[in-house]
Amino acid sequence: MSITEKILCSKSHEYLLDNENGTYTIGLTDYAIEQLGDIVFLELPEAGTEFKKGEVFATIESVKAASEIYMPISGKITEINEAVVETPEILNEDVYEKGWLVKIETNCDAVEFGDLMEYEDYKEELA
Amino acid sequence: MTITIKGDLLMTKETYLHEKHIQLGAKMVDFAGWHMPVQYTSIIEEHKTVREAVGLFDVSHMGEVFISGKDALNFLNKIVPQDISKLNYEKAVYCQLPNLKGGLIDDLIIYKLGIQTYLIICNASRIDEDLNWMVRNKRGLDVKIDNQSHNYSLLAIQGPKAEALMQKTGLDTKQSSFTIKTGDVCGIKVLASRTGYTGEDGFELLVENEFSEELWDKILEQGQEFGIKPIGLGARDTLRLEAALHLYGNDLDEDTTPVEAGLSWSIPKDKKEDYNGKDVIMHQLEHGVDKKLIGLKMLDKSIARHEYDVYYNGEKAGTITSGGVSPVLGANIALAYVKNIKEICTGAIIQVMIREKLHNAVVVKRPFIQKRNRITM
Repeated sequence: MSITEKILCSKSHEYLLDNENGTYTIGLTDYAIEQLGDIVFLELPEAGTEFKKGEVFATIESVKAASEIYMPISGKITEINEAVVETPEILNEDVYEKGWLVKIETNCDAVEFGDLMEYEDYKEELA
Repeated sequence: MTITIKGDLLMTKETYLHEKHIQLGAKMVDFAGWHMPVQYTSIIEEHKTVREAVGLFDVSHMGEVFISGKDALNFLNKIVPQDISKLNYEKAVYCQLPNLKGGLIDDLIIYKLGIQTYLIICNASRIDEDLNWMVRNKRGLDVKIDNQSHNYSLLAIQGPKAEALMQKTGLDTKQSSFTIKTGDVCGIKVLASRTGYTGEDGFELLVENEFSEELWDKILEQGQEFGIKPIGLGARDTLRLEAALHLYGNDLDEDTTPVEAGLSWSIPKDKKEDYNGKDVIMHQLEHGVDKKLIGLKMLDKSIARHEYDVYYNGEKAGTITSGGVSPVLGANIALAYVKNIKEICTGAIIQVMIREKLHNAVVVKRPFIQKRNRITM
């Protein structure tokens, strides 16, 4: 099963991957990165910080502009991807394996998943 | 993340090369009312191509206005601070179009094409304002203002290999920087100007619309051996920023004089004729200004952008007007207007407010990189 078959995507282009150990990985979709172009800067929150669904938790900058990244569900940051902060260009190569952003733990209400889409539906939504 | 696509695509204009950009897979954006390529592959890659080899730009959105008539010289001398009497045949000069307060309606290049014939190349976003202002200023003068923007395409060939490429296409490349000549490129008649907006040597070719696609294709074909690539507006912006060339709307506006903008070098002190805003501009040249343009280099990985606030000693001291990455320096750079105090000088540490945090930057000399062409009168 490829990774895009396992992720859920938000309308604001974040993806959520269930790690099946109580944590989720959050990143940006390949479509989002394709739209942004060359990624040159990433600002991620500190581990331990809690965010509600829809809150801005990070900032990404391409050559062209700065964009905010929103939490697809509520949760607490448990781990951040230091490698992408150090080398943001990684996101232009791969957003799912090497280019993930943060891991979170959550006990959010199931209703928060309601507006997230499977990758195929998300891509259809864009078309 | 929110992806915004600016503008109403139905209302935007297309250049005669629009189809070419689509075929090349360009990402298109709305810019100054035009549907233009922002990038073909990657802004950073395109930027490096222009610094290391040669790039081809479609800048057909820019305005071309021909000025002719018995009073053409007097008219131009009235609307720009530069001394057009000193502009020789086939030469070009970088100029500004001040209002009565010395603020800038636009910045432009004026070319002398004949005894009473001149060409103005101006910013796409300002053509209407420029024309209105020129018409207001022609009263009583025998001068024809002929906007030909819709009839011409403009292709820029920029980079260290631009000369070799143009030579190969048959253009006589003996012409020096800031000159314009009629010529042939791959058998197509052009007006070739040795100017650009990248800090590199290069040419800008004015061509009738109907030949623009053929010219575009032939230059790309002939340029293969030099590593040519089409370059979008994204890299055009990072290139001009490294060269610290002003962008109208960011670094220049109607409330900023050329003296404040660091363009005093372009203004003759001995011009006899009166021109719009002369009293303000001459007063500032003599007595100084309250705000000044500076170059900044960020000391961390953060990126200063248009409209971010600049602080000095804990107090707001100014505003970023252009900012971004410098692919050549591997650092982030910016232009800012700050209070004209002597402490804010080269080497001084100042701060930029980015998402509610202050980030250190050092004031550096402009341009940020060594330019390969020199702007001269």
